[in-house]
Amino acid sequence: MNKSELTNIMIKITEDRDEMAFSDLFDFIAPKINTYFLQNGLTSDNAEELTQEVMSVIWTKSDKYDESKSAVSTWIYTIARNKKIDFYRKNMKIKINEDDIREFIYDEIQQNTLTQNDIKDQVDKINEELDINQKKIIKMNFFESKSHKKIAQELEIPLGTVKSRIRHILTKLQRIL
Amino acid sequence: MNGTLVKNELILEFASGKLNASKSIFAATYLFLNSKAANISSAFENLHGDSLLENKDTPTSNLKFSDCLSSKVVSRKIDKSQFGPLSRVVGSLDNIEWKQIYKGFKEFSTKIGDKDELKLIKMDPGTSVPLHSHGGREYILVLDGSFCDEHGKYTKGDIQINDQKIKHTPIASEKEGCLCLTITEKEVIFFGSFGSFLNLFTFIRSFFK
Repeated sequence: MNKSELTNIMIKITEDRDEMAFSDLFDFIAPKINTYFLQNGLTSDNAEELTQEVMSVIWTKSDKYDESKSAVSTWIYTIARNKKIDFYRKNMKIKINEDDIREFIYDEIQQNTLTQNDIKDQVDKINEELDINQKKIIKMNFFESKSHKKIAQELEIPLGTVKSRIRHILTKLQRIL
Repeated sequence: MNGTLVKNELILEFASGKLNASKSIFAATYLFLNSKAANISSAFENLHGDSLLENKDTPTSNLKFSDCLSSKVVSRKIDKSQFGPLSRVVGSLDNIEWKQIYKGFKEFSTKIGDKDELKLIKMDPGTSVPLHSHGGREYILVLDGSFCDEHGKYTKGDIQINDQKIKHTPIASEKEGCLCLTITEKEVIFFGSFGSFLNLFTFIRSFFK
């Protein structure tokens, strides 16, 4: 399913409350969300539980999705990410909900000059500038929250190399952002 | 690593959900006041959104789409306030019980359950902080007014991130003073005679924590 198909499905969900469209979205994205939680160190039971929470938010709060502000994939990613944060915080007895912290920003961005195009330009620049290996490290370190040590083990490279590669990536990003 | 590098790292970690609660509030307040930083964060979120689409599938074993149709999702209302995410934690800035550390320098600390301590600092116009360095990283976000030091001038929405090597002497603007949000990972080390007094103060205070 590509991005414009995702957008069309999301419109059916939002405007028509179309359960079949939601079922299609579920079949496509729920297994990927489930993988995301497993990548971030959750047990399969917890991963599935959080996947349910994310999918429920997508259905219940679909009116919050605004296609002029973000891609469907980005919106879903942020929901999953916040669920992950709250899950780990629950064990630390921190009562602050991540949505509460972040909602202000998104609300502010709405009235801001920030457009999808500005962001798309930056994403394109990042994609042009970073090669496959660098993107892989970004994905492992940030998307999957893997430690430098774990990355070193999985890629079979020295720990120092992982650290210097990440520094190199940040330097590149600094130049283009 | 230099300042901008660390700044991007902070934004990238925020977009990835890797920060603890204190730093998350710090970063959220930064993005709230600084649209350029918010823009960079959105770009990273897009990148991660693409990673999600490229993820391999792990089918859910017990979960069906119909299980997700009837969940209770609480909707909250957003209260508009001057410093967004921060106000949610410390309330209205008008009601803060400031603690005076020395003349012209007040602070308010709050811990929300992780190892970091969020601290608000209010400096009267022209007040300075004696030359110091830090045992860990120090994060400073200007909420109002401005300050300058050996490295430049910082105004509303600017952040400065200092590592152990950096020594500086911040001075609040003569005109408007300065209100900052800070996180200091380890105790500050002061230099000079007034500095020795502050070190002693920090040392004594550590017994009462």
